[in-house]
Amino acid sequence: MIQYVVRRLLLAIPALFGVTLLVFGILRMLPGDPAQAMAGVHATEEFVAQVRRQLGLDTPIYVQYGRFMAGLLRGDLGTSIRTGVPVSREVWSRLIPTLELTLVSLALATLLGIGVGVVSAVKPYSIFDYVSMSAALVGLSAPVFWLGLMLMLLFAVQLRWLPAAGRGGLARLVLPSVTLAASSVALIARFTRSTMLEVMGQDYVNTARAKGLPDRKVILHHALRNALIPIVTVIGLRFGALLSGAVLTETVFAWPGVGRLMVESISARDYPVVQGAVLVLALAFVLLNLLVDLLYGLVNPRIQYD
Amino acid sequence: MKGSLLFVACLLVVGAVAAAQTPKVGGELVIAFGTDPESLDPNKITSAPAGMVLTHIAQTLLLMTEDLQVAPLLAESWTISEDNLTVTLYLRKGVLFHDGTPFNADAVKVNLERFRKATYAFLLFPRVQTIDVVDEYTVRFNLDKPFAPLISHLTHNFVAMVSPKQIAELPEGKDIMEPIGTGPFKFDRWVRGDHVRIVRNDAYWGQKPYLDSVVFKVVPSDATRLVLLETGEVHAIMRVPPLDAPRVATTKGLEVVRVPSVRTIYIAFNYQKPPFTDVRVRQAINYAVDKEAIVKEILGGMGGVSDAPIMPLIFGYTPQTPYEYDPEKARQLLAEAGFPKGFKCTLYHPTGRYMKDAAIAEAVQAYLAEVGIQAELITMEWAAYLAFLRKPVTEATFDMFMLGWGCVTLDADYGLFPLFHTSEWAPVGSNRSFYSNPTVDSLLELGRVEPDPVSRKAIYASVLNVLWEDAGWLFLHYEGQINAQRTVAKGLVHHPREYILAHQAWLDL
Repeated sequence: MIQYVVRRLLLAIPALFGVTLLVFGILRMLPGDPAQAMAGVHATEEFVAQVRRQLGLDTPIYVQYGRFMAGLLRGDLGTSIRTGVPVSREVWSRLIPTLELTLVSLALATLLGIGVGVVSAVKPYSIFDYVSMSAALVGLSAPVFWLGLMLMLLFAVQLRWLPAAGRGGLARLVLPSVTLAASSVALIARFTRSTMLEVMGQDYVNTARAKGLPDRKVILHHALRNALIPIVTVIGLRFGALLSGAVLTETVFAWPGVGRLMVESISARDYPVVQGAVLVLALAFVLLNLLVDLLYGLVNPRIQYD
Repeated sequence: MKGSLLFVACLLVVGAVAAAQTPKVGGELVIAFGTDPESLDPNKITSAPAGMVLTHIAQTLLLMTEDLQVAPLLAESWTISEDNLTVTLYLRKGVLFHDGTPFNADAVKVNLERFRKATYAFLLFPRVQTIDVVDEYTVRFNLDKPFAPLISHLTHNFVAMVSPKQIAELPEGKDIMEPIGTGPFKFDRWVRGDHVRIVRNDAYWGQKPYLDSVVFKVVPSDATRLVLLETGEVHAIMRVPPLDAPRVATTKGLEVVRVPSVRTIYIAFNYQKPPFTDVRVRQAINYAVDKEAIVKEILGGMGGVSDAPIMPLIFGYTPQTPYEYDPEKARQLLAEAGFPKGFKCTLYHPTGRYMKDAAIAEAVQAYLAEVGIQAELITMEWAAYLAFLRKPVTEATFDMFMLGWGCVTLDADYGLFPLFHTSEWAPVGSNRSFYSNPTVDSLLELGRVEPDPVSRKAIYASVLNVLWEDAGWLFLHYEGQINAQRTVAKGLVHHPREYILAHQAWLDL
């Protein structure tokens, strides 16, 4: 087990190395120059060149990459072009709010999604099934911008139950995490429903039933247990979707997360921040996937790690 | 012109109403804007949001008032020598920085010497050779050539004063994160991407603020800012979408504030590329577009039709006779120029950078189509757009492009020289349309060195007239800003530099 974890972590290193190459390459292929973006519409070419020199952007790309990697090995992600703040500080201070938002949304999506999916599967074609699956369809297709604003108008402006936007305290977490979770709840619910239906037709479930086990036990211990393996995979994948979906949610709810930081940094061509943020997010993604794989074993002990 | 007078009138009314009531002390006022300040180091900041926050904390030597006059602030008065080569500032006495360090001539010198090493220094002080401390409260600038805009440049946030002690203790190459100024408010905390908080400076030298604290909240979405204003979580917001303004204005407890900005929006031609080399074609395009309708219908009245390449509040402005909407005349001019059926061309425009930029480009396209000019619209993301427009004349492929210019120094030199002088052709400077006219060149050079304001104004009047007759651009409009506030917020100043100032604000709760 420990060996497996260590091996997976070691395998992540070349993957992350690939990420740096890719991000570095793509960013520099974009037209537009950070020096120009920083200097503004008003700047003379002479001035732009001066800024470029100051930022070390006048050197060939492989030299820049070498510098970046050398810094990385020392644990230094560089300094933001736009703000002059160390990238590690900038990304870290924005990563925590994003993780807070995505993890709460993920928990919400998991509990609600699996719950609704199981109930729908147990009583297929019931009113609950129809209503929840239609709601899921809406949840899947509602754009975050619209949904977020609607929730805000209802719960903050009309009912005055919750604060509208910003971060600080649990109450402010409710609307953004519900908005972000909406499509995942829907997806997980629909997926759970179909997987459960499939599993419940299997022989071992019928056998369990034939043995005279109560319904509840059959559903939770036999059917759900087996259905969970693909569901856990889907949930793991949703984390990535939540991280990227957070960009819009963060914008709507004025949430000071890493998604917004990345959007701002890309438009300013703030290379160091974009590189740093992508790298940190990739690392988070690798770690989470590892966690998902370990969870398989927990859900289904037949899976062996070697 | 009428529009701008109206803006100024609104501004004065807002000020007058606030003054009529008795202020209450205490409370925290929250202002929401769209983007996080990039920095709070005076020498580094370039954006309006950063300038707006800093203005409360660190003060400049001279003040640009909301009606765009230069007034005393940390300097009480100034004199300019006969030959215009020395400028002497007399400083206010008894001012302390937030850390207790006294403000004096040495503090000014330390700050300005630091700025002279900063990236943007040449923009403000190109002609200043040395800065002398004459006595404890007198500072002298020695210039190698006269530089008329110097006084108004001293109102720029770049040269806001911070404690010399803070500068001395700052590690080499590091920026100031928590500025220590002389302002009515002190820096409290900055949560990046979320908010900046400032608190009252009880030792302030001037009229002390009424508020205990002010929070500047970063809320990127326009719609969310409006919601926050409605729920009362914030007291004032910037950049209300034009179409929402009428609804906000009729909502109880809310009011809309319209303020001019100093930004001019234009569409430039590739001046060296036929058919735009023909003045009749350029004039025809000016006649073909209904600028009044654009300002009224697309901008919801937020702005004014340009009647000069600079807007009315800029020093050196003289109105020209607008090119009235006259498609018939446009067709006639095009026919004279040899294009009775029009022609095809490209029109590049940004999207999301200026108020309704894409919608305006579409409207221009439709107007041009009416006189036979088929303009193909092409849009780009901002950084790519700037790079695309910074090509030398031999590589420039565009026919027309839309851009805006904020004349932040409020002086015609800054609003015209970089855009129209031949020496400023891209990629060297900002003359991206390759405009070139010897008369304009020599007049612009003259305007830089002429010391007498009356003669200077006359020089710029001639420049504007030549540029106007020449139809150097498709002259569009200057932008206005729409802000909104809760009626309980009193005494807020909505400044044309795109600031909301809470120096003397209070909450009527």
